[in-house]
Order: sequence, then structure tokens, then C-alpha cells
Amino acid sequence: MYGSASTHDLPTTAATGLENEDPILLAEFEARIARGEKIEPNDWMPALYRKQLIRMIEQHAHSEIIGSLPEGTWITRAPGFRRKMAQMAKVQDEVGHAQLLYSAAETLGKTREQMLTDLINGKSKYSNVFNYPTPTWADSNVISWLIDAGAIVNQLANAKGSYGPYCRALDRICAEEAFHLKYGHDAVVHMATGTPIQRQMMQAALNRWWPAIMTFFGPSDKMSVHTEILMRWKVKMASNDECRNQFLDMYVPKIWEIGLTLPDPNLRKNEETGQWEFTEPDWEDFKRVINGDGPCNAERIAVRRAAEENGAWVRRALRTPKTQYVRPLA
Amino acid sequence: MIQSHDPRMNRLGLSDAPAAAVAKEALDQFGTYEVFHQKKEGAPYVYVGPVHAPEADVAFLFAKEQYSRRFACTGLWVVPTAAITVTAYVGDQESAYDTLPLVTSHKEPAPDASSPGTSAPAAERTVVEAGEAGETDYDIFHLKKRGKAHQHVGQVRASSPGHALQVAKAAFGEQRPVVNVWAARSADFLRSDAEDRDIWATTPEKKYRDAIAYKVQDRIEKFKAENS
Amino acid sequence: MDPKLDLLYRLADDQLILGHRNSEWNGLGPILEEDIAFSSMAQDKLGHSLQLYSLLHQLGEAEPDTVAFTRNAPQFHCCQLVELPIGEYDFSLTRHFLFDHAELLRFEALATSTYEPLAQVARKLRGELKYHVLHANTWMKRLGTATEEAIERMQRSLNFTLPYALGIFEKTDAEAEIISTGLFVGEDELRSRWLESITKVVAQTALEMPDVLSLAPVAGGRQGQHTEFLQPLLDEMAEVFRLDPTADW
Repeated sequence: MYGSASTHDLPTTAATGLENEDPILLAEFEARIARGEKIEPNDWMPALYRKQLIRMIEQHAHSEIIGSLPEGTWITRAPGFRRKMAQMAKVQDEVGHAQLLYSAAETLGKTREQMLTDLINGKSKYSNVFNYPTPTWADSNVISWLIDAGAIVNQLANAKGSYGPYCRALDRICAEEAFHLKYGHDAVVHMATGTPIQRQMMQAALNRWWPAIMTFFGPSDKMSVHTEILMRWKVKMASNDECRNQFLDMYVPKIWEIGLTLPDPNLRKNEETGQWEFTEPDWEDFKRVINGDGPCNAERIAVRRAAEENGAWVRRALRTPKTQYVRPLA
Repeated sequence: MIQSHDPRMNRLGLSDAPAAAVAKEALDQFGTYEVFHQKKEGAPYVYVGPVHAPEADVAFLFAKEQYSRRFACTGLWVVPTAAITVTAYVGDQESAYDTLPLVTSHKEPAPDASSPGTSAPAAERTVVEAGEAGETDYDIFHLKKRGKAHQHVGQVRASSPGHALQVAKAAFGEQRPVVNVWAARSADFLRSDAEDRDIWATTPEKKYRDAIAYKVQDRIEKFKAENS
Repeated sequence: MDPKLDLLYRLADDQLILGHRNSEWNGLGPILEEDIAFSSMAQDKLGHSLQLYSLLHQLGEAEPDTVAFTRNAPQFHCCQLVELPIGEYDFSLTRHFLFDHAELLRFEALATSTYEPLAQVARKLRGELKYHVLHANTWMKRLGTATEEAIERMQRSLNFTLPYALGIFEKTDAEAEIISTGLFVGEDELRSRWLESITKVVAQTALEMPDVLSLAPVAGGRQGQHTEFLQPLLDEMAEVFRLDPTADW
């Protein structure tokens, strides 16, 4: 579950380094992408391409592993067999997605050890929405439906990107997310059309989560040299605003049809432009949270760190020093 | 202590004191194994991705749940990543076999399949045997299009990975396009047994993790009708 | 109690509580791949309990959700082994090893039960349980032959857990009838098969097998006597369900 290649924190002035690349190889690389062929791990690629992909896929992987925690909060309390088993399967899938994505990033040369080290030391970013809590079961349902819905919009776009291993991982992930989306929708509909207690729980959770959902795709992209290159190289596939608009178009009507309201009086679709209008999210708050000062940042990292520490003796015991590490192939 | 909404985390007793920087050691996550699955009886094995694991038996346990918990599966292979020899990648219209060095020293593969003492190959595999002493079986995989997955095309007998690619070229080189070829010694694979196929028997029944189990439109229509 | 109900409640409650406990590891496992595998097996246990509660429902008991989410500890028939907190991974793996060997052998025996609906379930789950035991054995052998630290941990866990595991085979008043009507081979027979089965695996490790038959089993679970851990587990599990028992979640 991941929002977007966060170009908002890309340097706007820093050099792209392209002038240092071999012009012939660069031209072949760009021609391959322009032909619609995928790039595979052993191909020549510009340093900037490698760096940006590692950054993006790694953030995506972290978002899955950290993203398993807000819903995991309700794993022992899901009501009834159907929900209990599905909640377990969904949280499991998020861990599985992290595994797939870390593997895809590894093909580019960063080891899983390095990525996990960066995560538990707070050096890496992950999707900011997971720094918010899930105080009720309904909050977990909102994530299952709407955060996953947002993630699918992004992931379907990225699955058309240029890097083979990332595309393969995303194909698999999107197939599994189809279950998440349906499960989340099912749970929300049951709450929204259920008893007064359920309905009230769901509306409260939606009100809590809506501001975070509106930031899920990140601020409007700054059009910089970097952004243009990443779009040409099919690393960034759609603008944050396009993704957000597509998400609103698909899901706001589904929210409204079950009698729920959204806490933004300015939210409406402009039928002339086809664009949704809304109150601009609080991007200052977004920056504050993504830089570590959100309600759950400390807990999320502490949990991941504890899991790594508590499992250390198991890994130490099984480690085979004769192993020769080579990057996964594809 | 960090107070969590998750009772499991409260049981962990997480400290809220700032934590010192830590770094994972090399091989903390083990090496990797590449995983291939078979979707149905008789279908070729297809590459699904890697798992991190210390040994092949553990890799198999991990691969089974990471790559075959959701969809029908009739077989699974795991092989150490380091055991696979990889050719160059070529364009979507070309053949990676064309990039192999031209050899004169290796013997051309003999079409003889009647050599005694070789392990009996399973029926569905295409086998090209050279029948030479010191030779061993290799499994060969092709990638037909960039972005797609490698697929098993058959086994060959050869004296080295490089030789195996040459033998594979003679056996499968007519196929086009072949964007990339993988070769690995057959003995390096850990493969599920035919008699253990029942470990996947109940997978299709686990509907709770399947999108089609969630049909909610009737409930929505009923709600709309009651509230219009 | 009717022997069928007696047997089904014991089996179903064991699976529900252990599945619930093992799900607590989800997201906290020692390595991502193992996290996924352990969660699958926890889901399977929940699935088994659901199938068994469904058989109970066919015999006139309440709906599975009602049975699972509204009873209190004294009404549960699980053994105390499954109630214990997850502890560290050595304990959870050892419990998984000891319980799943018994489970596989139990279902193998139940495949020929005179109670055909249960026999059908048992036959269907065979492959699933085979993977669970393969998983348990692989870990037991790997850790039981690994570092000094791992061997010491596994030995401690084995010594601690075995008396609880013997509680799996605690008999009830219905035992004689369960055997005589061909429902099941009986707990004594199962225990002896189980002991043979786990001893074989432990023998392939550096672990020492305690003299199991001299240990005092931790019993009581089958009679509704439980550890202090079960009621809080049930309260947590049913926290949302009990908010509005009339609701459809």
C-alpha cells in the first residue's frame, strides 16, 4: 500500500549527472524504453535511474511492512470468523508484498540488510498515512478499503513502468489487492448500513482518516528537470494530482451511496473540467508528520525494531557463513 | 513505555526512550533462492521470485506460503540464486543464444538418448542427452519477453554451465524470441514430490482471501431503497 | 455430554485458541518469509475450528460465531497448552511442533471415524496438516542442531512445554463411549503414537528428550479449568463482537 513516487522531496536544482553517462548507452537505454521494452537488472542503466528506482521501490516496501501495523492492531479483535480470517490474510499479504518489493529493490544492488537497517534507524521514508493510529475497528476498515484503493490506483500505474522486476512484483501485488479492496468495501458497507453503533463508528473513523487520505498521493508535483526525466524513463507514471483525481472519481460516489459523509464542505466534482475540487490539505502538517513528528512514527519504528531484535537469535542460529550472497536475479 | 492501540504491542513493552543506531550484519537475511511454480499438471514451471533462506529445506517452506498460498499450484522448485548461470539480456525480438561465444572445443550434443546409467527424466521434460562421462543434467529456462517471467523449457546434459547453454542452444535455439536464458544444475534444485501435491489441496477452498467471496451490492441496493 | 459434542468441542476450541495465539505473530516474525508461513498456518487453524464448529451447529449447537465469540473461559474445552501467551519464538515453535504432531495423527485417525462428516473433514485437511508438520520438523531440526544459544533455548522450551502438551490427551467422561462407538481411537492411543512421532524428530537434534511418561500432565482444560490467560484472550478476541451482539459485522 503505497501512495506515490514522492517527487516532492526530490532536489529541484541538483545535477542529474546525465552529462557523465555514456551518450551511446544512454541513447540505447532511452530507445528501449521508448519502444515499450522493459529494463532488466543486468542491463546498463543511468545512475540516476538506479538511484531513483531503489528509493521508490524501497519506500514502497517499507510502506507495506509498516502498513501492516495499523490493520494488525485489530488482528486479535476482528469480529467473527469471516473477518478474523480475512484480517489475518490481509495483514499477511502486506508482509508478503514487502518481501516481493524488497526483492525487486535488491536486484538493483541494495541489500535487504541495508534497507531494513535504514528503516529501523528512521532513515527511510514510508507512506505517511501509516503514522496515524487506528483507535477503532472501523479505522482498520477504512484503511482496508480506501488506503488500498488509493494504493491500487498508484500501483496499476506503476505496473506499466519500465523496470521489469518492479512490474513483476506489482502484477502479483495488484492481483492480491483485489481481495483487499473487496474485503475492505464489504466491511465498510456492513458497518455503514448496520446498527446505529456501527454506523456511528464508521462515520467517526472516516472523519478521522479523510485528511490523511487526501494527502496519500502527496502534494502536487513540482515540474523539475528530475520529474521530466523520471516520466520519460517511465519511473514516475502519473502525476500525484492525476492519481488523486482518479481516486476521488472512483470512490467518493461509493462513499456517498452508503450514506456516509466526508468532512470537507468544498468537496465536489466540477463537471465542466472533470476535476474534483476540495479544501487544500494541510501540507505543513504532512511535512511535520513525514519528518517524524506524527502520532505513531515512534511506535511504528519501535515495533519494527523490536521484531528484528527479538528474531535476531533465530537468524543467528540459522545463518550459514559459507553462503555467498548474490543479488536475486529478477 | 509506548502506549499502543494494539494490545499485542503493549505486551511487547516497547520503550519510548530514543534508541541507539543499529546496523544489520552481512547475511542477517541469509542468501536467496529462486522459486518456480507449476500452475497445473503438465504446465511448464514458471519463475515467481526469490526467497531469503539459510538452506533449501527452509527455502521450500518459505516459498510454499509466499508464492503458492493464493492460487492453484501443483508443484514447486527452489534453487540457490548463485547456482544459476545467466546469459546476456537481448531485445524483445532477438535471441540471447546469439550472444553465446562460438565454441569449437565443446562437443556438439549427440542426439543419442539411450545412454545407460543416467537418471530417468520425468515424462514432461524435453531431454537432450550427450551421454558423456562427467556430464550432468541442467535445467534450462527462457524469458520470452522483458518484464515477463522465465519459463522452464527442458533439461540438457552437459559438463559445465557454459556447455549447458551451448547444448541448450542446439536443443531450443530455434525458439524465438529468447530474451534471456538461465541454466542450473538439476541436482541443485529442491523439488516438491508428486505425492506431496496434497499440500495444495485446500488452497481453492480458502475463499475468505479471495475477492469473489465479497459480494456486497445487494446490501447497498437494499440500503439505498430504504433510504431514498 | 454427548460423545460427538464432547470430541468436537475439544478439537474446535484447541484450534481456535491456538490459531488466535499464533496470529499474534503476524508482522512480528523473525524474518519476513517465516512471518508469512506462520500466519498461513494460524489461518488454517482458524479454518479448522470453523469447520468443526459448523459440524457442532449441524448437531444443534449455536452458530460458529456465537459459540466462538460469546462463551467465557469455564465453557471452553481447550487444553491449557494453547492458551499460554506466545512468549518468544522458541516457545511458539515448540508448541507448534508438539501440538501439530498430535493434530496430524488425530486427524489421520479421524479419517476412519464412524462419524462420517468428521471423517470427511479429517481426510480433506490431511495435506494442509502435512505442511504444518513439515514446517515444525524443519524448524525443530534446524534450531535443535544450530548454535549453542538456539539449542539451549529449544531445550528449555521443550522441557517447559511438554507437561502442557500432555494435557492435550486429557480424557473426559465420554472417552469410553467415544472409543466403543468408533468415533475415535482414544487419547491414550493417540498419545503413544504422538510420543513415537515427536521422539523420532527430537532424536535428529542435539536436544534431549525428557522422560515424558514420568512428567505430570497439566490437565484441567478439558473440564473447563484454565490458566489465567484464557479469559483475557477471550475478552480481547470478542471486544468488537460484543460491542453490539445484534450487529452483522
